[in-house]
Amino acid sequence: MAYDKISPFGSPVRKAKVFPRCLLLFVTLLCSSPSFAQIDLVGEWTPLFHEDNHDRLDGPHIGDYAGIPLNDAARMMADSWDADILSVPEHQCQPHPADYAIRGPADMSISKEVDRTTHQLIALHTYIWWQAQERTIWMDGRPHPDEFAAHTWQGFSTGSWIGPVLKVVTTHLKKGYIQRNGIPRSDMAEMTEFIYRRDDFLTWTVIVSDPVYLTEPMIRTTDFKTAPTQELEPYPCEIVTEIDKPHGWLPHWLPGANSFLEEYANERGVPAEAMRGGSETMLPEYRKRILAAKPKQ
Amino acid sequence: MMKRGVLTILSIAILSGIAFAQSRQSPKTLATVDLTGYWVSIVDEDWLSRMKGLEKGDVSGIPATPQAQTAADAWNPAKDEAQGNACRGYGAAAIMRVPTRIRVTWADENTLKVETDAGMQTRLFHFDPKAKPSRERTWQGFSVAEWAQPHEYDGPSPGGTLKVVTTNLKPGYLRKNGVPYGEKATVTEYFSRTPETYGETYLIVTTIVADPYYLFGPFVTSSQFKKLPETNNGWDPMPCSSK
Repeated sequence: MAYDKISPFGSPVRKAKVFPRCLLLFVTLLCSSPSFAQIDLVGEWTPLFHEDNHDRLDGPHIGDYAGIPLNDAARMMADSWDADILSVPEHQCQPHPADYAIRGPADMSISKEVDRTTHQLIALHTYIWWQAQERTIWMDGRPHPDEFAAHTWQGFSTGSWIGPVLKVVTTHLKKGYIQRNGIPRSDMAEMTEFIYRRDDFLTWTVIVSDPVYLTEPMIRTTDFKTAPTQELEPYPCEIVTEIDKPHGWLPHWLPGANSFLEEYANERGVPAEAMRGGSETMLPEYRKRILAAKPKQ
Repeated sequence: MMKRGVLTILSIAILSGIAFAQSRQSPKTLATVDLTGYWVSIVDEDWLSRMKGLEKGDVSGIPATPQAQTAADAWNPAKDEAQGNACRGYGAAAIMRVPTRIRVTWADENTLKVETDAGMQTRLFHFDPKAKPSRERTWQGFSVAEWAQPHEYDGPSPGGTLKVVTTNLKPGYLRKNGVPYGEKATVTEYFSRTPETYGETYLIVTTIVADPYYLFGPFVTSSQFKKLPETNNGWDPMPCSSK
């Protein structure tokens, strides 16, 4: 059979079958749907502090673990944490770990990296102004590295689209914290994020699973608003001597020695046991125990 | 030539049939995400505010106008109880932030029902554009619903989102300590469901409250719920309390 023309893709096409094939393609396109749909996350975003306002701006209180599904090992670590650690030169320029970063002063810019030949999306990059935190979310299907690869503040992240939702899985996180009052998160933790665009807002869902310090996954959601005129500046961090202490000074509390642990509970009239946290404190029925408790004299 | 004509007519008939069938499908059938079932609040954000309540006059985090601050300073929970307004902290602008279990069911083919055990509230999300609000303003107002993403999938998808806009509200509290919203408030919500992650499935609700009198900008919160089994799930209806 003779070939009458060359298809747009370069291969010869038999004329007799052109019409049925085109019809079939037309019907298929109309009846089917894309296997995924992406949304545009690229641009400038500013965090909204309508939730956890005191904790996220002033900072969480010493000994406040309420609502966190932490275990005894995490409690002990957190009890030994001393806020002076942040004044030690080695810690002054420390960024938040990726799982906590968006709860902080997270004015953020999101950009994309595209292969210039194929125009395939290679990665999304997030830049958070405070401590100049740069994170890469690989979108090209590459695998996570070997378990012995370097663990960093940002970890190793891969993303995929679930319809219009971006799902990100992060491994290789350096040991960090779930809350900046010393509640630890181990380097064996894994984080999964779901990023939802709601018109001019983003709802950024973070779920952390940590076999060392959590009794069940911990989920938090943080909201951002578009900020088209935002221009993020560099964040050069300069190390200075804040407290004159001998070299090697390591602020900490020995077990049982931290006298500040019940301060916040007493100040707010909440039973001290509630502030010790645990998975039961994040369920609605725990409210009955709070309301039934007699204020401490 | 004749064969081509037959094929054309056949394809038009098929397409018309598909379009007709889709237009006849109900919102329930066209759901892009399955929100039904029991869910429980995970209270790990705003813990003190939600579990115990903040001090009178504390509007921290809320873009409150001076009028809102004045009203919050005058909060009187005993008076609310006495006047039958114990549910002021359970209205549509706040209910997803109240520690609660929720039960989501289809009331009919066009209406999704959300019930809470805390405060025993019932919300109806109307997909039917002909539905009309009642004359009286209520705590839960009148909610219009739509699937926010096009129906791109054959069935429920983790990427699907329900968008709900609620008006016709009776004035209530954004937080239990008396930070107000007024009857002109509009509540826009987005409901999504995560795929199973580390053994759990979550409902994510973004709530955006706009109020021209008590807020100088949108008040945005996002709340998370964990999926529960259909039985032995702790469902425990309790009336509203202003405490």
